Amino acid sequence: MSNEVTKRTMTLNLTEAEMQALESISVQKDLSKTAVIRQALRLYQLVDHRLAKGEKLFFEDEAKREKAELMVMI
Amino acid sequence: MSERRRCRLKAGTSDDLVDAVLVEELTKDDLLKAHLDWAPVRIEALRRLYDAKVRWPEHWHWDWSKKADMLDLLAYRCMGIECEGQTQGLLMVSTIAGKSRLVEQLGKAVLYIEFVESAPWNLRDLVERPKFLGVGVALLEAAIEFSTTEGFGGRIGLHSLPQSEPFYRRYMTDLGPDAGHSEGLRYFEMSADQMRYFLEGRK
Repeated sequence: MSNEVTKRTMTLNLTEAEMQALESISVQKDLSKTAVIRQALRLYQLVDHRLAKGEKLFFEDEAKREKAELMVMI
Repeated sequence: MSERRRCRLKAGTSDDLVDAVLVEELTKDDLLKAHLDWAPVRIEALRRLYDAKVRWPEHWHWDWSKKADMLDLLAYRCMGIECEGQTQGLLMVSTIAGKSRLVEQLGKAVLYIEFVESAPWNLRDLVERPKFLGVGVALLEAAIEFSTTEGFGGRIGLHSLPQSEPFYRRYMTDLGPDAGHSEGLRYFEMSADQMRYFLEGRK
């Protein structure tokens, strides 16, 4: 059991609207902006992996009995 | 961030505290090695239970080698406790934040524990005299610390197998059977107060 995890730094260029969205999610979820970006990356990779395996992603509104497949280009 | 940290377990025969190491990020190889180490002991113990007509533990079929591929994804992290050259326990968590269901922290990020297991020679259900005690508690502590590092405030949650419910009730809030869970298992979550109490008890 041994492995080294090194962290690398990068500059992220966002538009004003993107930065506002990031800040808003950060406040809403009580997470740092870095944590939000990490969450997004983990989720993106997981969704991509499952879609590649042939699974589908749906949003369901039980009250309205609506179910729609989320079509994403990944 | 240190990848290997000291932690302590109790020797099953003497109750003495022994030094162990928490490995914070295991590889697929580590899981395969642990599986190969655990499997013969587990099979032998299950054979004994079968002959004695004793019910098998509910997680008898868990196979960590089959969970290893989860580590290809950033969404999962596996930690382990090592002592005397062997893996004494394993913990798999989802690094994608769950949402708290406790009223006092509703909607806040929670670290979800996918799987947690002690080595077969540490389980009272499988052996008469466990080699080490306190592995599950040490892994819960590791989960709390990872939750804190991730910015989830130390909050953790999990679905428990029925046999483990009494253990989790000691430290967490039982939120009842989860209709959304594929097996309808009960969902447990640790509040901030419970976390502080838990960590105090570990000092």
